[in-house]
Amino acid sequence: MLVTGIKSKPVYAPLQADTRGRFHLMLGMGVGAAPLLRVIDEMRSASAQSLKNTRVLFVPDAGAGHAGAALGVEQFQAAAVGDVQAFQRLAKLLEQFRAILAQSLMGTRLYVAGPESFIGLVMKIALEFNLNKDEIRAEECGTLARRVYCIHCRDTTETVRTNIVRCVGCERWLLVRDHYSRRLAAYMGVMADAEAPGELPPLKEVFL
Amino acid sequence: MNDAQTIAVEVIGIEQVTPLIKHFKLAPIGGGTLPVFSGGSHIIVVMQGAARVHRNPYSLLGSPKELDTYEIGVRRMEESRGGSHFMHDTIEVGSRLEIAHPVNLFGLDKIARKHLLIAGGIGITPFLGQLEDLHGGGVPYELHYSVRSAEHAAFLERLRRREGERLHMYYDSEGLFIPFQTLLANQPLGTHVYVCGPAGMIQHVIDTAHACGWPDSHIHWEQFSAPPVGDAFEVFLARSKISVHVPPDRSLLESIEAAGVEVPYLCRGGVCGFCHTRVLELEGKLLHNDHFLSDADKAKAKSIMPCVSRAHCRRLVLDL
Repeated sequence: MLVTGIKSKPVYAPLQADTRGRFHLMLGMGVGAAPLLRVIDEMRSASAQSLKNTRVLFVPDAGAGHAGAALGVEQFQAAAVGDVQAFQRLAKLLEQFRAILAQSLMGTRLYVAGPESFIGLVMKIALEFNLNKDEIRAEECGTLARRVYCIHCRDTTETVRTNIVRCVGCERWLLVRDHYSRRLAAYMGVMADAEAPGELPPLKEVFL
Repeated sequence: MNDAQTIAVEVIGIEQVTPLIKHFKLAPIGGGTLPVFSGGSHIIVVMQGAARVHRNPYSLLGSPKELDTYEIGVRRMEESRGGSHFMHDTIEVGSRLEIAHPVNLFGLDKIARKHLLIAGGIGITPFLGQLEDLHGGGVPYELHYSVRSAEHAAFLERLRRREGERLHMYYDSEGLFIPFQTLLANQPLGTHVYVCGPAGMIQHVIDTAHACGWPDSHIHWEQFSAPPVGDAFEVFLARSKISVHVPPDRSLLESIEAAGVEVPYLCRGGVCGFCHTRVLELEGKLLHNDHFLSDADKAKAKSIMPCVSRAHCRRLVLDL
C-alpha cells in the first residue's frame, strides 16, 4: 500500500519562542491553545517587548462554538499578550489572518498550533505571502484527521479518519496517501479499486 | 570549471564611465551568440598577463535577452594584484580574452513579493542584469544606490532612464547615506533584500536586517573578495605528489594551477564553495578569507578555499 515513507509528509516540532522576530503572530485551534500559552510564557521571561508585539488568533474545535471561543479569549487575555481575537468559525479566522499578513512587515514570526488540517490551511496562506521555513513554526496537536484531495475529480474531503474514504465529489473509494501538497493543504487520495473494481482493503480508522 | 571550457571573445567597445570604472563589451570571436544567463550572473575573465595569468570574476551587466555581446564593468582597484590594472591599462578595442561560462550565485528569489536592491559603488554591476529581469514584471522593487560623489555614479543615466522613481541615489559627498534602519524596518512581508558593495556595507545591511527580525532566507549578498596578499608558504599536493611554492602576491589556487594541477572553481572570490579542498596535514594555521565555510568549519581547519585563503605554516598537505 503506497501510504508510508513519503518525504512530503510534513514534520512538526514543538513550538519555541523566536525573539529574533519583531512581531509575533500566533494561530491556534482547540487544544493548540496549550502550546501557544507555553510559548507566551517563554517570551515573558525572554522579552517583554516581544509579548507586547504578539497577536493571537484562536478558534475552538469544531462544535465548541461560542463557549469555546470565549474560553480561548479568557486564557490568552490572562496571558496579557498584545492582542487576542477569537472566532467561532475557522473560515473567519483565516480571512482575518490573510488581512493581517497583507499589512504585516518583515520581521514577523508565525506560530501555529492545532490539528494538522488547521496547520495546513494556515501554511497555505502563509506561502502566498512568501513566508519561509525560518519564519514559521508549527506544532501538531489534536486530531490527525486529514483533508484528502481527490486526484480524479479535484474535490477535497474534510476530516478523514480512515485509510480509505468515499470522495465527497465523485464517490470513488480513495486510498489516502502520505503524499502531501502544501499548496492544496491536503493529502492525495487515489482511486483504491481502479485495477480490480470492488476489491477494497478493509476499512480502518487510522487518523484519530 | 577550468580553462578547457572557456570561450574566446574580442573586446568590441570600451568606455570610461567614471574616473575608476571602465565598461567593456565582449563579443564571441567569429560571431554567433554567447551562452544564456540570468540576472546576477558573473563570468571569470582569463587574462594572459606578461608575468602571469589573471582570472577575475565580473558581473554581467547587459540584458539576458541580448546574447550577441556580454558587458562587464571593471573598477581599477588601488591594491590590485594585477587583474584590474591589466583590464584598464593593457586591454583595448580588438584585444582578445578568454571567459568562462556564466554562473549565477546572486539570483533573484522568484517568488518574492518585493525586491529591495542595495548597491554601493562598483556593487551596482550585478544589479544591472537583475534589473533587466525585473523590468516589466509585476513584482515591485526599489534600487538604493550609494556612491562617493556624482562623478563616481557609474551607469547613472541608464538607470535613471529605465528605473525612474524606483531609483534612489545617495552621494557621500553631499552627506546623503542610505537610511538602512528605516528601510529595513518597514518592508512588507515577503520582501527579499539584496546587497552588493563594500564589505562594511554588506555587513551593516545583514546586521540591521537581523536586528529588524529578518530571517536569513530573505537576505542575499554578493562580494567577490580579491585574494589577499600574504607571506609566502609551501604546500604539498598529496595525490599529485608535488610541492608548490605560493608567493606573496599569488593565491593558493593560482599557484596550484601554475604548477599544472587543475582545481574545480566557479567564483574565485570565496563565495561559491566549488574549490573546497580537504586539508590532510597542517603544522601552523590556515588564514581563511572566504565567506563559504562556517566559523566552526574554519576553526576545525580540515578544509580550505584555495581561491582566497592562505596559510601561515611550516607544513600543509592538501588532498589534490
